[in-house]
Amino acid sequence: MNNPYDFKVEKNSALPLDPRTKILLTLTISSVLIAGGHGGIMNIARLCLASIPFVCFLWDRRFCAALIYPATYIILFVGEIALLPHMHGILGNLCLSVVAIFSHMLPGFIMGYFLISSTTVSEFVASMERMHIPQQIIIPVSVMFRFFPTVGEETAAINDAMRMRGIMFGNPMKMLEYRLVPMLMCSVKIGEELSAAALTRGLGSPVKRTNICEIGFGIPDIFAVLICALGFAAFLLTRMTI
Amino acid sequence: MNNKLQVKDFINVGIFTVIYIVIFYACMMLGYVPIFIVLLPIVCSVVCGIPFMLYLTKVKKFGMVTLTGLICGLLMMVMGSGLMVLAFGVVFGLAGDLILKAGKYNGLKHTILGYGVFSLWLMGFVSRMFLTREVFFESLVSGYGQEYVDTLSSYTPTWVFPALFAVTFISGVVGAFLGKSVLRKHFAKAGIV
Repeated sequence: MNNPYDFKVEKNSALPLDPRTKILLTLTISSVLIAGGHGGIMNIARLCLASIPFVCFLWDRRFCAALIYPATYIILFVGEIALLPHMHGILGNLCLSVVAIFSHMLPGFIMGYFLISSTTVSEFVASMERMHIPQQIIIPVSVMFRFFPTVGEETAAINDAMRMRGIMFGNPMKMLEYRLVPMLMCSVKIGEELSAAALTRGLGSPVKRTNICEIGFGIPDIFAVLICALGFAAFLLTRMTI
Repeated sequence: MNNKLQVKDFINVGIFTVIYIVIFYACMMLGYVPIFIVLLPIVCSVVCGIPFMLYLTKVKKFGMVTLTGLICGLLMMVMGSGLMVLAFGVVFGLAGDLILKAGKYNGLKHTILGYGVFSLWLMGFVSRMFLTREVFFESLVSGYGQEYVDTLSSYTPTWVFPALFAVTFISGVVGAFLGKSVLRKHFAKAGIV
């Protein structure tokens, strides 16, 4: 780095993974686990891929998440394998499909959560610019990146307020009016403030944006890419033989 | 100058796409039982009419709805719903955008029609079940068991696919009317629209 001021860039995560690698990992985990089958090599591949978020959390010293996630996943995974031969009838089908869907989707979701929570918007934008993605996509997606947690917080706050007033779950039309409408209102307000803030900080300016994030591939990235390649290979292999 | 998308528009796209997807996922969770997967487009497109109508009050330029479709498709693809979703998102986003453009982004009739067409992108989720039927069901057998697959395939004969298109379109129109009335009742009063 030929940085004359020797900035110490504050990092959001202890894990030295490039945001692009995290995106690739999320893509691999969710697509292989959801679309891939079971049995043989796939069982190993599934477990390997599903343990990636666990490793990430450990590395990032987020032990709480690192504990809850594998516990949930193991219960679901064992449940799926143990239940599959014994489930019959409509009720059995329902139980089975709920368990199966969650065990297929959980790792992808968790990885997506990790991606969002461990990457700053600035890092994310920088890595998207490195990939030469057009501005038309970068700006909305980075806004989304920033905005997902906000919507969650607002929804939780509205839920609290509604519980205080004694408005519970029930009539779906009422649900729409009492929860959706306030959520939309504050989202619109926050969105207007957000865009004003972004414009004052020069998001729309015609000059090229610079930043001080250190983006680049390192040794952990190579490992991660290798794992992704192996996962896809296992996926294609089972597809061929079926 | 006026017709090109500005940064403010891109930010609006981002914000409303987030709201759309959050509500969309909430609906999906409410009915997340795969046997009802064919009903999902109906529920989703009715409820999502509310945020979308609000979104359309901010849309005045060509391309915003297309971008929303594209981003929804990308996100769903990353979530593992297959390539089809992306294609459907782009195609129906573009089609909805064209209809809205024809109404200069404020005609009531065009707005409702445009949302109806846009909500057809949801068909990307079920299209895998119909267009590549054998492959899709075979991939399910190992994960869910033969019995489940049989149930699912007996619920979804091939003629359901075009019927679903029609049903989704109609529920999109219903959702648009719902959204318009909510807009009138709440947002106009609060001075947001």
